[in-house]
Amino acid sequence: MKNSFDEKILEEANDWINTNQRVVLATVIQTWGSSPRQVGSRMIVNEKGDFSGSVSGGCVESAVVRECIDLIKDNKPCKKIEFKVSNESAWEVGLACGGEIAVYLEQII
Amino acid sequence: MKHSQLKEIIKKKASKTEFAIVTNLANGLSEIYEPGKSLSKEFETHKEQIDNFFKLKKNGVIEKTEIFVETYIRPIKVIIVGAVHIAQYLVDFAKSLNFEISIIDPRGYFASEQRFPDLKIINKWPDEAFKEVETNENSALIALTHDPKIDDPALQHAINKKFYYIGALGSKKTHENRCKRLKDAGFKTEQINLIHGPIGIKLGGRSAPEIALSIIAQLVSETYKK
Repeated sequence: MKNSFDEKILEEANDWINTNQRVVLATVIQTWGSSPRQVGSRMIVNEKGDFSGSVSGGCVESAVVRECIDLIKDNKPCKKIEFKVSNESAWEVGLACGGEIAVYLEQII
Repeated sequence: MKHSQLKEIIKKKASKTEFAIVTNLANGLSEIYEPGKSLSKEFETHKEQIDNFFKLKKNGVIEKTEIFVETYIRPIKVIIVGAVHIAQYLVDFAKSLNFEISIIDPRGYFASEQRFPDLKIINKWPDEAFKEVETNENSALIALTHDPKIDDPALQHAINKKFYYIGALGSKKTHENRCKRLKDAGFKTEQINLIHGPIGIKLGGRSAPEIALSIIAQLVSETYKK
């Protein structure tokens, strides 16, 4: 598991910032069981909820977007969120793969 | 993360030097790690584990800490022999797959810049060309000319340098003849068997992009077996 020089998500984050958008970087930091994206996978979210990249196969993205918007609103630097089959938000967004993931959100300031 | 740090990471990526980003998940502080360079106090106490993650080319949280390590590794070098139509599609597919492609073709009319914009094309015979490209057991070869004069010396180089992936385009019959030539040149059967020939996974396709897809699929599969 490693990151590729070809993945352009950080460059895209930079472009967004240069066009005066506020950006939160969401990174998969841990996975348990089967999960579609490996540790290090990223997505970026702006204050309007536009996003690029992915942290799962579409299972938790909507929840991550909501959390990212809140992070910007509350002006917090970072936050760790976990999606487990057993917890409420995972039930709501549905981790159909049966895996669990931890995602780290950080605002680019 | 500070915007200045993000820009620094992007610069590091562009220079294609291997590095890692270390982040303290508890307070959001992050830093760029490079082997041999010291880190701030915050991370220096975990240096040994960080070194280890980097060595294993691994991403993850260091056990019993809040330190997240993310490694960036150099793309795998893929040498294509033959600037043919299939190669154009291989270049397209490889763009998002962390492969760094070089094309060798002594035939100038194939290896034109117009056909391969933004790409290093070495317009020389393989023996000369390999003097310009550093290769090792982390390299891959895709031989596409099915012209023994061009493919064979490249295949021999790849076998000698223990490339992790060697593939050669051509029918079963072409491949049989190729194996025979290599045997006559003194290569052992187990060395010759390292060549994937006919190249690619069985996809059933016939068009240039379909063949390119079957080759790249095999290359990815072999890369994960490394």
